[in-house]
Amino acid sequence: MGRDQGIVTHDRVVGEVIVAQRLTKSYGASRGIVELTFAVRAGEVFGFLGPNGAGKSTTIRTLLDFIRPTDGSVSVFGMDPRTDAPAIHARTGYMPGEFGLYERMHARAYLEAFAAFRDGNGRAQIDPLAERLSLDLDRPIHDLSHGNRQKVGMVQAFMHEPELLVLDEPTQGLDPLVQQTFYALIDETRARGGTVFLSSHILPEVERVCDRVGIIREGRLLTVDDVGDLKAKALRSVIFHFDKPVDASVFAPLPSVVSAEGRGDAVAITVQGELDEVVKEAARHTVINVETREPSLEEIFLRAYRDGGDP
Amino acid sequence: MSALLGVSMRSQRRAVIGWAIGLAAVATMYAAFYPSIKESASQLEGYLQNMPDAFRNLVGTDYTSPAGYLRAELFALLGPILFLVYAVGAGGRSIAGEEEARSLDLLLSTPLTRTQVVRDKALALLAAMTGLAAFLFVVVVVVGRPFGLTVPVQDAAAACAMMLLLGLAFASLALAVGCATGRKAWAYGVTGVIAVATYVLNVLAPSVAALAWTRPLSPFRWYLEPDPLTTGLHPANVAVLLGITVVCMAVAVVTFRRRDLAA
Repeated sequence: MGRDQGIVTHDRVVGEVIVAQRLTKSYGASRGIVELTFAVRAGEVFGFLGPNGAGKSTTIRTLLDFIRPTDGSVSVFGMDPRTDAPAIHARTGYMPGEFGLYERMHARAYLEAFAAFRDGNGRAQIDPLAERLSLDLDRPIHDLSHGNRQKVGMVQAFMHEPELLVLDEPTQGLDPLVQQTFYALIDETRARGGTVFLSSHILPEVERVCDRVGIIREGRLLTVDDVGDLKAKALRSVIFHFDKPVDASVFAPLPSVVSAEGRGDAVAITVQGELDEVVKEAARHTVINVETREPSLEEIFLRAYRDGGDP
Repeated sequence: MSALLGVSMRSQRRAVIGWAIGLAAVATMYAAFYPSIKESASQLEGYLQNMPDAFRNLVGTDYTSPAGYLRAELFALLGPILFLVYAVGAGGRSIAGEEEARSLDLLLSTPLTRTQVVRDKALALLAAMTGLAAFLFVVVVVVGRPFGLTVPVQDAAAACAMMLLLGLAFASLALAVGCATGRKAWAYGVTGVIAVATYVLNVLAPSVAALAWTRPLSPFRWYLEPDPLTTGLHPANVAVLLGITVVCMAVAVVTFRRRDLAA
């Protein structure tokens, strides 16, 4: 390893906050995670992108010592979750997409109890956070809507201003306005030097908030990349409609073209990266219409998958 | 007091009040029947002579005395049933219930250790059940008096203390099964089956020679023999029931620390 793993200097973590080395969790034939190796750097927002069932929650649950790896290792702040969970948890905030609360408690009492579990850390932030989220603290939790319950979860995750936020599909069921506040809170965490590990199956969300992204599918990490690079390398499809049939093979030699196919007066082209050359080639003919689509998550997956994880 | 103990105790408050009302109602009802039972004492004693041995083991041989009546109606069957239903329910819910409701993840994402969580849940159970047993003691002493159903205060206290110890043994068994499996159904099922089986064994063993050896295995034997209502506390009986509790708590902590939590 020989790398700097979450060393604290001047109360700021430098280096890598999370380091997974061949992290493996086996359940049966098809589930679990297989030899994940990645690092989350201090101060970054790391997206963990993958479809449902890919192993995102499994990975996150090993970080928090809810489950134990079958093989390989993971460290958080340079510590082993298996032996140092309380020390790690003291510096971490966690919010899953689905969770239970204590139904009979009032939201305020619940959050005050959670601040007490953290030696009082975060108590002062309960009211300001609730106000930002328009959460009524003085109601019993069983009276709260799904969205308001999510807000209670958000407050307990953010209130102690943790150095590391571990968020597992946290925006499920958040209304768009609250979602914006949520993204703002993530931005603020990064601004004060905190680190965020966010799992999601929603590409626009990852694009919006993350610096780097790891893509996981069927328990295997396909790629880790800057969000911008990933998008630039992603496949997208463009369909040019011409005034008369055009030979699709004229597009094929262009470096950015993956495939080109004639369909009557139209040519459907799959492009990787910039569109410039393709557009210039198409402009030599009479273009009636252009259809283009942003790459979907599936297409990015497909690309990462096809190349064996190193685009 | 730790914050988690406070939260856990508060979560049981309503249930404890409900069960206390239930126990008081049952105790009052039986106390109210006592004067008429006492009037027909001679007939009833004759009737009991003709009952099977197992029944007499359970009810005792002096049904019409205050201690005998209390034993038969409250401490031999209905009291333990009510007490154990609470104990098993609360014990099973403590960890497995939170795990199934998915509130355990957030709790364990704080700096609290799994051991601390089990400890505070267990202490909350102890507090709730001690409260119930103490309340039962007060009801037995206070409500019995106007109906002539009086036993020495220290004997009533001994019987309630033994019921508490029996309840703690089964509550910690349910807690341990819940800690080991994460499933309420397993906690209720395993503990319920063991409670019923050991109860039946304790009733049958004295009169069925082939089962005699099983009797020391039953917590109910240590709960009720010798009868605390007439003979007070016995160190060996207290030690056996406390021992079961201690072993179950150790199993609860060890299994809960070791395993993966359900997603």
